[in-house]
Amino acid sequence: MNGALRVLFASSLLVFAAAAQEEGIESPVPAVPVPPVAVQNPFQPFDRVRFEAAAQKLGATPEQIATFGKRIDEVGLARAADDLLRAAVPTFDAAVKVHESGDPAAAVELTRVLAATQDPLLQAHVRYHLARLFLDSDDPELSISTLNDYLEKNLNHSPLDAEAAYFYAQSLAEIPAPDLALPRFRAFLQWFPQASERFRSAAHQRIGEIERQNESRLHGLADGMKKTSRDLRKKRFDDPTQQDQKKYIEELDALIEEFQEKENQSGGKASGTGPSSNPANESALPEGDGSVGNLEKRPSLADRWGDMKDAEREKIQAELNKGLPPQYQKMLEEYYKKLGKAQK
Amino acid sequence: MLRFLQERVNKTTKELDAKPAEVRTGENYSAEAATLATKQGRVQDLMRRLAEKLGKENDTEGGR
Repeated sequence: MNGALRVLFASSLLVFAAAAQEEGIESPVPAVPVPPVAVQNPFQPFDRVRFEAAAQKLGATPEQIATFGKRIDEVGLARAADDLLRAAVPTFDAAVKVHESGDPAAAVELTRVLAATQDPLLQAHVRYHLARLFLDSDDPELSISTLNDYLEKNLNHSPLDAEAAYFYAQSLAEIPAPDLALPRFRAFLQWFPQASERFRSAAHQRIGEIERQNESRLHGLADGMKKTSRDLRKKRFDDPTQQDQKKYIEELDALIEEFQEKENQSGGKASGTGPSSNPANESALPEGDGSVGNLEKRPSLADRWGDMKDAEREKIQAELNKGLPPQYQKMLEEYYKKLGKAQK
Repeated sequence: MLRFLQERVNKTTKELDAKPAEVRTGENYSAEAATLATKQGRVQDLMRRLAEKLGKENDTEGGR
């Protein structure tokens, strides 16, 4: 992004006033910075001529670019663009294949490609895949951090922008930070009317879920507990975590009291205290086309990490110290540390 | 039951927080943290299920 555009982008940002949740239950706050939602759309329409020129600079042949043009209708613009970059940059293709195979070494391989390039288009695609990998590994905060870099440094270079915006909102929802996720899902729908129907349907579904959950104190409690669970995994046992846990007990006491009052008033058992006759289903993403990667859950990377031999794990960890810039080393150390804990 | 389970998680959190610094770098400590996080996750799952069940029941009653 050039200087003028960066200023325009920054000046278009307004703080989104997060609606206070009912009954004093606060939405969990992500540990990574989350810039405010832009009121003005920072995304520009896709510039195909510019994209193809940038791909050519990365090594794409005229034949590969022609194939890209032919495949847009078949697989969607984002997928066709990603395939073109993969064809043009073999190291990127190899790293994505490692990710697709579910190999825990994928984070290192993708980061190597990222560290080796200054090209904003290639950076955009690598960061997108890294963010998806972190999200698949139940690390939404690292996904947000990676997408923050995407939005700051790689915006408006690739047709992956729409999916990056979707996964930003999705990462926030996974934290869960519903107050932050909701306006971003809405912004995604507003700014990307041409995005894959699969992503648009999923965004509508998530908005509905979050709105329903926002109306419920119990969902607010569950959201807080999810954040606390992640804090405990990171060995955050100190006062802020204990205060959150104390609030859950107070809130549960208040809810129990309410149910007892209801029971007394109705002269019978309060609703919801018996076994479920209709247990809740996991929300499912609709089938569809035109997206990079797979929206469904893959076999857990943590499980794959746990199944590896010690020597294989040590080999991946040794790779972290070979020529990667310190900021990427730190990111990967954090990622593999959490992956190791998740499979215990 | 949820209250009881959350109380147990809170108690273990305090116990782990009180452990001396030299213990905190050990493998056991990491394993205990992971176990505790899993337990907190279970309480969260139960809370979510209860919320969804009550939400459905309220919808049904509201539609009558």
